[in-house]
Amino acid sequence: MLFKYLFAKNEDIPSGSATIFFGFSSILWFIVGTGLGSFNAAKLAFPDFVTGVEMFAFGHMRQVHVLAVILGWISMAFAMTMMYMTPALGNTKLWSEKLGLWTAFLWNVGLSLGLTLLWSGFTSGREYSDLIWPIDLVVIFGVLLPLGINVWMTIAQRRTQGIYITNWFFGACIFMLITTFLVGNSPELFNLTGLTEAYLTFWFAHNVLGLWITPVAAGIAYYVLPKLTGNPLYSHRIGHLHFWSIIAFYSTPASHHLLSAPLPEWLKSFASVEGVLILIPAVAFVANILLTMKGRWSMFVENVETKFTITGVLLAIPLNMQGGFQQTRAINWYIHGTGWIVAHAHLALLGMSSFLEVAAVYFGLQQMMRRKLYSLALANVHYWFFIIGFCTYWISMTIAGLIQGAGKIYEVPYIDVVIAEHPYMIARWVGGTMVFTGNMIWLYNMYMTAREGTLVPKGRYAHELAYER
Amino acid sequence: MAWKFDNPLYSLSDEEQNKRAITLWEAERHGDLWAANNRVPFPVTLLIALIVLTAFMMTMPIWGQRPTAELYAPMVQMMDSPQVKGMATNKEKIAYLTTEAMKAHEQAKDSRLPGLLERHPITWSDLQLMAPAIREIQSSGGTYGLESYTVVGDQVVLANFEGMRRPDGKRLRTQPWFDTGFIIDMFYVSYFIIVMVLVCKRLPHFSQKANPKKS
Repeated sequence: MLFKYLFAKNEDIPSGSATIFFGFSSILWFIVGTGLGSFNAAKLAFPDFVTGVEMFAFGHMRQVHVLAVILGWISMAFAMTMMYMTPALGNTKLWSEKLGLWTAFLWNVGLSLGLTLLWSGFTSGREYSDLIWPIDLVVIFGVLLPLGINVWMTIAQRRTQGIYITNWFFGACIFMLITTFLVGNSPELFNLTGLTEAYLTFWFAHNVLGLWITPVAAGIAYYVLPKLTGNPLYSHRIGHLHFWSIIAFYSTPASHHLLSAPLPEWLKSFASVEGVLILIPAVAFVANILLTMKGRWSMFVENVETKFTITGVLLAIPLNMQGGFQQTRAINWYIHGTGWIVAHAHLALLGMSSFLEVAAVYFGLQQMMRRKLYSLALANVHYWFFIIGFCTYWISMTIAGLIQGAGKIYEVPYIDVVIAEHPYMIARWVGGTMVFTGNMIWLYNMYMTAREGTLVPKGRYAHELAYER
Repeated sequence: MAWKFDNPLYSLSDEEQNKRAITLWEAERHGDLWAANNRVPFPVTLLIALIVLTAFMMTMPIWGQRPTAELYAPMVQMMDSPQVKGMATNKEKIAYLTTEAMKAHEQAKDSRLPGLLERHPITWSDLQLMAPAIREIQSSGGTYGLESYTVVGDQVVLANFEGMRRPDGKRLRTQPWFDTGFIIDMFYVSYFIIVMVLVCKRLPHFSQKANPKKS
């Protein structure tokens, strides 16, 4: 139905169309991403699972999973939230609903094409920036720039004098992501090789996480939680502290990812200190959100969006404790190149970030469709599948990483380490599959919400109405 | 936008500016949302100070020293001795050599060496591969001694430290306890703190609460 608006006049397109398009797309990509993750985990747990077909080899599938999650689920969920939060915070309408719809459409087409090519073996061969350069250009100029223009113009046309903190993050992070894509992919665009290539590859990976995946998620929480609780955000000035410390400390060189590479040691020292300093935005964010909950903690149990949001915020604590310290020379020596890093990456993307986005997608879709969630019970099942599945994954991979680290340092034969890790690989697959299953329940719930959810009267919020099921 | 410096810990804006800000704060809603003018709680400020301190303490190169060629020199010296040659397995050989090297390092001036050797054990095959390079550095009497060479796997390479210079003008290649990166960081953190203080103190003092019910 949304496709018919692609060629309609901007004025004829109902508000929220782009939000709904992005929202359902993001859930579908989450299912694709976690489905691929579950498949890949099964290959690690059961080495005889699907063998003999090159396309289904781990080396072909792994990066498709990673990018389906980053560019499909997480980034589309971000775009979805920007489509409804940015105008709402400026007391205005989205600058161009039509541009939003086209961005969602091109994003889906471009990502499908890019991932198919990647799956077929067309790759830059660089972790996280695996897409080939023509697809990188499509991402920059066909997706991120139109998204940015829509967000920046909506902010520029706001009917408020001030700009709420969420929009600081949205506006700045799109700009920083475009810069990251342009600079981070320059090895392929300009044929840079060797150490420069390695450094820029991890500069890209570092900044995609720190200037996009985690701060935008935090910006979302600054909107969702005050909205749900009815409380004001605890502190404007802590918001400043959070925002500017991200800009100052996260955007700096990413050489702590390459502590064993022959980069200048002073550059590693510099980046390593900055790496610990990311605890400053983390402390600011967590404190600001938890203090906003004052007097409304019962909502953590009663309201599903709050449950997801607070879980995401609480996961930011171990995320940043790990992230801050694991990149120091002393600890990195032990855990570098082990499953610990895989666990940490999932804590960032599947834990902290995804929980916050899920809450925003639940909230935003209900608001834009003007329909109350079809089933609270299913939403709670989704939550518990998600949190139990995620924790199973995270804890098992952390333990596996510590075993690998010990094996690496004490030169235990590789095959012995593989055998020792096997139970944790099975736990990883079980956890990941639970998340995947929960997401399918979520899609069903949102589909039914669109079809049969109770209509929300104008001027009311969905969460203010009692559930009917 | 007038600045005021008579009571910088209270506010850097004059009262008129603060009043205007509070009025706007009370009048304006961002899609029904607003942010309160609360202070940064003292425990958070304390935590930030602790983080800055930890960031420098925790990342000192001293906690992540790289293995230098100097560590394995006693092992190279003894590896061709009849006693080692007479041992049946490589495991026995390397265990014996590690123990002997540890004894030698415990008596050496550099107190970091025993700990470093403990954290960076080596295999017999790697030792065999790097031994010629270590002997060559020792016999050549070049500009840099073994302490300036880093061991990466079975490779012995001149360490990649920059920024410090020796009296002869050449770069020092031993790991300093405080390098250029930390100096840049000190400037970086200082600028950040100054800017954050300016940003926060330009806001109305936290005792001036906006009253949302007024709007």
